[in-house]
Amino acid sequence: MSAELEPITGRYVHLDIAGRSCRVYFEEAGSGIPLVCLHTAGADSRQYRHLMCDEAVTSRFRVIAFDMPWHGKSYPPQGWQDTEYQLTTQQYVQTILAFCDALAVDRPALIGCSIGGRIVLELARLHAERFRALIGVEAADFQQPWYDTSWLHRGDVHGGEVCAALVSGLVAPQSPAVYRHETLWQYMQGGPGVFRGDLYFYRVDGDLRGRLDGIRTDVCPLYLLTGEYDFSCTPEDTLRTAASIPGAQVTIMRELGHFPMSENPQQFRGYLLPVLDAVASRSAAR
Amino acid sequence: MNIQIDQPAGAQLAARFVQAAGAFTRHRLFTADMLVQFGASPVRVCIRDGAVVQMQTQLPPMCTWDFAVRASEHAWQEFWRATPAAGWHDIFALSKSGELEILGNLQPLMANLQYVKDLLATGREENP
Repeated sequence: MSAELEPITGRYVHLDIAGRSCRVYFEEAGSGIPLVCLHTAGADSRQYRHLMCDEAVTSRFRVIAFDMPWHGKSYPPQGWQDTEYQLTTQQYVQTILAFCDALAVDRPALIGCSIGGRIVLELARLHAERFRALIGVEAADFQQPWYDTSWLHRGDVHGGEVCAALVSGLVAPQSPAVYRHETLWQYMQGGPGVFRGDLYFYRVDGDLRGRLDGIRTDVCPLYLLTGEYDFSCTPEDTLRTAASIPGAQVTIMRELGHFPMSENPQQFRGYLLPVLDAVASRSAAR
Repeated sequence: MNIQIDQPAGAQLAARFVQAAGAFTRHRLFTADMLVQFGASPVRVCIRDGAVVQMQTQLPPMCTWDFAVRASEHAWQEFWRATPAAGWHDIFALSKSGELEILGNLQPLMANLQYVKDLLATGREENP
């Protein structure tokens, strides 16, 4: 066969999350240390496709990315049509832990971007012993809102188009056009109200200001990586957050915005590989 | 005697925008009148069925528009750099930092946001 096949495989797993059954889609590639990947609000696991095709990563890590319920190829739970989707901190943590339990991954490393970066901080706070390393990309304890989320879901504005158009400014100008537009396409494909529902966690329920005392980076190392062009989670937001967590290791990434792994994978790997090297070395030493 | 009067920066930016965006068109059912202001210098952009059909720098009395985007000359100069610096690269980055104002009826703007963003970026310098 001469066709170019990527090493990524996809499957479904059934999870029980807060008493509701969810059919969750995930993709994986590679072998070794499990690395669970969390996508941004209103998007899906395709954001990690480049990471899953990078041999420098997959030769040492089993990279696993799942679509949160309501996102990508994961349906909402049964009965969704009578509810309004609002992601809460508790639901988000339960989903991540249920996924890790279902796949029986042993103390995975975990990387999350944007809302995934915020929940990394909550995991560091409450569940550090369950992870061997936590990597928050575009992560902070809080960010100042810069638009009214009611525009994301209303009858006279196309939800997919407005979501993509809003976040288009969060992509760095240096990012290759092909990956910029792939990243935006994910937003165009989101379900109605899903991006807005994710932002309930981001803006309302998941404010971690003043709640990050006691994070043990000696138990679980915490790495924070933020792009200089991210005006939603700004470098200053991440630096402020890191300053409140002894041992947190922070890097501001040049020529990257809010979606580093998706918008410019080549530029991002220059920052991520040293982190993964450190994770691998620490795992080998234990 | 030949007296040369320099155009103020805002007027120069407005002229540049008129030149860059005058033929802007997208296949889109979008009709609106937008005011873009470069410091004190306005440009009223008339969009019909996705095409820019008129750009006015001299506004008539009682001129109306659906929404407006206003920023200082400096903000537009930074926004239009071939590779803008972080924080100057998007209208919402500028809005968040207080460098740009968005006014009026926002529905036609938000329903056609990428169109408007692309239109406003036509004045951007080309990479050398």
